[in-house]
Amino acid sequence: MCTMYCPRPVVDTYNERLDITRAPHIDYAQAIPSSYYIDAKACLRVNYQTCNLCAQTCTAGAIDFTQKPKELELEVGAVVLAPGFGRVDEKVLEKFGYGRFPDVLTSFEFERLTCASGPTEGHIVRISDQKTPKKIAFLQCIGSRDETCGNGYCSSVCCMYAIKEASVAKEHEPDLDISIFFMDVRTMGKGFDDARRRAQEKYGINVIRARVPRVDQVDGKLALTWTTGDGEHHSALFDMVVLSVGLESPKDADIISKVADIELNQYNFCRTSVDAPLVSSRQGVLVAGAFQGPKDIPESVTQASGAAAIASELLADARNTQTITVTYPDEDKALEEEEPRIGVFVCHCGVNIAGVVDVKAVRDYAGTLPGVVLYEDTLYSCSQDALKSIAEKIKENRLNRVVISACSPRTHEPLFQETLRSIGLNPALVEMANIRDQCAWVHAQEPEKATEKAKDLVRMAVAKARLLSPLEQPTVDVTPSALVIGGGAAGMSAALSIADQGYKVTLVEKNRQLGGNLKRLTWTLDGQDAAKVLKDMVKKVKGHKNIEILTNAEVESVSGYVGNFTSTVSQGGKTKMINHGVIVLATGGREYKPKGYAYGDSNRVLTQLELEEKLARGKGFLRNAKNVVMIQCVGSRGDDMTHCSRLCCTQAVKNALKLKEVKPDINIYVFYRDMRTYGFYEDLYREARKAGVKFIRYTPDRKPEVIKQSRGIKVRAFDELIGEDIEIPANLVVLSTGIAPGDNEELSKIIKAPLTSDGFFLEAHAKLRPVEVAVDGVYLCGLAHGPKSLEESVAQAKAAAAKATIPLAKGKVAVAPIVSKVNQDICIGCGICESLCPFSAITLQKVGKRKKAQTITASCKGCGICAAHCPTIAISMGGFTDEAIMAQIHAFSPDGCEEA
Amino acid sequence: MSNIKGFCCNYTLSVDLDALKKEGLVPEGLEIERLPCTGRLEVPELLDAFTEGADAVFVVGCQVDKCHNLSGSYRASKRVKYAKKILEELDMDPGRVEMFFADRGETEPVVEAARVMSERASN
Repeated sequence: MCTMYCPRPVVDTYNERLDITRAPHIDYAQAIPSSYYIDAKACLRVNYQTCNLCAQTCTAGAIDFTQKPKELELEVGAVVLAPGFGRVDEKVLEKFGYGRFPDVLTSFEFERLTCASGPTEGHIVRISDQKTPKKIAFLQCIGSRDETCGNGYCSSVCCMYAIKEASVAKEHEPDLDISIFFMDVRTMGKGFDDARRRAQEKYGINVIRARVPRVDQVDGKLALTWTTGDGEHHSALFDMVVLSVGLESPKDADIISKVADIELNQYNFCRTSVDAPLVSSRQGVLVAGAFQGPKDIPESVTQASGAAAIASELLADARNTQTITVTYPDEDKALEEEEPRIGVFVCHCGVNIAGVVDVKAVRDYAGTLPGVVLYEDTLYSCSQDALKSIAEKIKENRLNRVVISACSPRTHEPLFQETLRSIGLNPALVEMANIRDQCAWVHAQEPEKATEKAKDLVRMAVAKARLLSPLEQPTVDVTPSALVIGGGAAGMSAALSIADQGYKVTLVEKNRQLGGNLKRLTWTLDGQDAAKVLKDMVKKVKGHKNIEILTNAEVESVSGYVGNFTSTVSQGGKTKMINHGVIVLATGGREYKPKGYAYGDSNRVLTQLELEEKLARGKGFLRNAKNVVMIQCVGSRGDDMTHCSRLCCTQAVKNALKLKEVKPDINIYVFYRDMRTYGFYEDLYREARKAGVKFIRYTPDRKPEVIKQSRGIKVRAFDELIGEDIEIPANLVVLSTGIAPGDNEELSKIIKAPLTSDGFFLEAHAKLRPVEVAVDGVYLCGLAHGPKSLEESVAQAKAAAAKATIPLAKGKVAVAPIVSKVNQDICIGCGICESLCPFSAITLQKVGKRKKAQTITASCKGCGICAAHCPTIAISMGGFTDEAIMAQIHAFSPDGCEEA
Repeated sequence: MSNIKGFCCNYTLSVDLDALKKEGLVPEGLEIERLPCTGRLEVPELLDAFTEGADAVFVVGCQVDKCHNLSGSYRASKRVKYAKKILEELDMDPGRVEMFFADRGETEPVVEAARVMSERASN
């Protein structure tokens, strides 16, 4: 209402100034807090004491112009800085025609254009003529890797987001011709290289390795010229140019630094160190996210959890002193047992659903179904306001079953379940019909049929809803201790954090000594002595009263479920039983041992780690060395391992600089595919080039060859710049061999934690749950999750510790009510269910004389495999009883409602 | 189709002529000669272009006050003026030769010039 009546149009900054809103507005429907706010700069009432229209029209009386800014004083034990990143200055963008040519956009603007709830409802149009472009160019490294604008670092995320934006655009407009201009393709995140390959193959996105110097406009088209590595000049015209702008430090970084009394680095980001990546220079002030350095969502989320862990360590003594418990009203059992009174809410999801499906028709149709007493449509069912109004309507109409016809239960069911709980209904009494994904999205071209299908789905959901019954929400006690598997940098960091938070930890290490891969490292990437970092860590772990260390030990079996695990650990032939509440997987990875490149045939061919070990022992072996050749991506990004090992580029650059330091006249040649020295490591890359290290790009179809000669070895490779094969007599060849997964298969079977195709453990959700695995109570960090630097391992270990202590601190875990239930009168004890259960959540127990299946409710994920395979139909699933599913299937036929 | 000959200095026109032709932004019969500086153009060269079959000839140089070589484009403009005079004497349309100016690296003025000259040549 307030937005509607306000006479002051203001530029919509959320939509990157591509749209107009009014002084009182909400940025987007799912914003938190989900209330409207007034743009004080534009408001007539605030500036000129006139107007006041909005306050008069607000029916809730929620606009109060007498409010004044308040200063609050809070007493806290730790501060977490997470101000995010700042924008690259527009002056930098002007060089590329931004501001001068309307169809040169930033990637942020393009992101809004591709968004279904954005200014163009997801249609990609040129700003100049509102026409759909045919050719789009993405220019990378705008405001990154560019010393002329002061940003010498790499922003780390732009390569991947450009590929994502290009893919989204291609999905929307399949005929688009998209080219992305890269310097190096830096898709080093977990699974990113796969995504890039898919985008190139599936969508035909052109990858061009060139830096475009400027953008020119001719007749409304945007002209680009560039030079490729072979020296050829090219030019072409595009309809739209997207500038992939980098991440800068926040504009007010200086103020933050002053207020919080912390040090910044040379680029105005928060200064941290490799062994304590989340800790600022001031005790108790922590940092997470892009303010610590440019990073993507999974890493930001990881760091956020990690910072929370450190805060919990600092506040361990104060835990549970100021908790507030949410109380729910008692369930209205009488109402639940009444004849079903069903309410159907059909969601518009903005235009996501309503753009295709005739929501009003679906709503009215729902009204004709048996048992339905209320049928309504809502704009965004999941917004706070809508949830409140749904709750009120349920109460008013005494509903005891609710059907939400909207999006996926996977993402939104908990929200609606919570709403039911808040008004005294059992959360199991809500059913969802996914008319967004299954109608509006997949049948976008056929709105009528999509509407019919939506009606079918609603009818089926209503049929099922009539047979829903309340389910109990059991809780189980938690054993307040953790098992950390793996005693490397990640495992030790996680163990320390959990122990510092006041819980017992058992740290299991396969080898004789703690340390893992860190033992082999000589210098950290920021030049610290790795041995010292390791020594400090081991000392802390060994001296901690809460940590029990088992070396030479391996986990043989794990049984139980979140809160109540029992593991057997074998140590020197003896086995030991350990009870614990949670598990942290920190099993690490290992250096890939290469095949070919004369590795093993010649003592002049080493891996990067072997070089470090030699260098640590002294520079004697370099006495007669003139030429050193380094070869990147040996093993990685190839046939043996498809993933990028993320840190070998930086490691090579670091070691090259070290070689130059001890022997300045040595020639170093680095053969690479893409130099992936992301973030501030870009500085090392630049330093290496300045020091005279020669970098030569190769392509996977023309890999460098290491040739053994009667005396010494030489490397032959194709140099793209001169277009010829070159031969370098090498005194030393150093292979950047990357990181292979450890022996994860065995453990993966024991814990039932799935692996990726590359052999690393798979997280529960790449972005939102990066340190949890699919099995409850099991957490993940370090190289076991994927290749990463020491700094990232430590941050992730802290994050895993934060997540692991949640059930420990709560003391109880709630079990999802959708679990299997065995009717032991019918069960014949055949054991099929036990053998099939992927979560070890069903076991055979002796009941009387015979064995009967029994569900371990805390471990059960409700997948239903047991119920589907039970030969005597003795197993039923809470929330998915056979009767309810049958009713749902019968309802698929339009006149099936009565039958069911 | 008329033949147009353009002389451009190194600091104008950043886009390849072929790319422009491919998009149909410039007349098919356009030929461009790139010079380090238009200041080195002599009148005979302008006239030779006509002898070699051009229907119209144009020169694009830097803005007079921003010439990379200080006075190059000014010199060129004077020579174009002189060439116009000669065309007049030969009873040809002096508009068939023209001087244009462009900002650094700009392609649009060159394209615009080619279109103007193509128009004049077809009249």
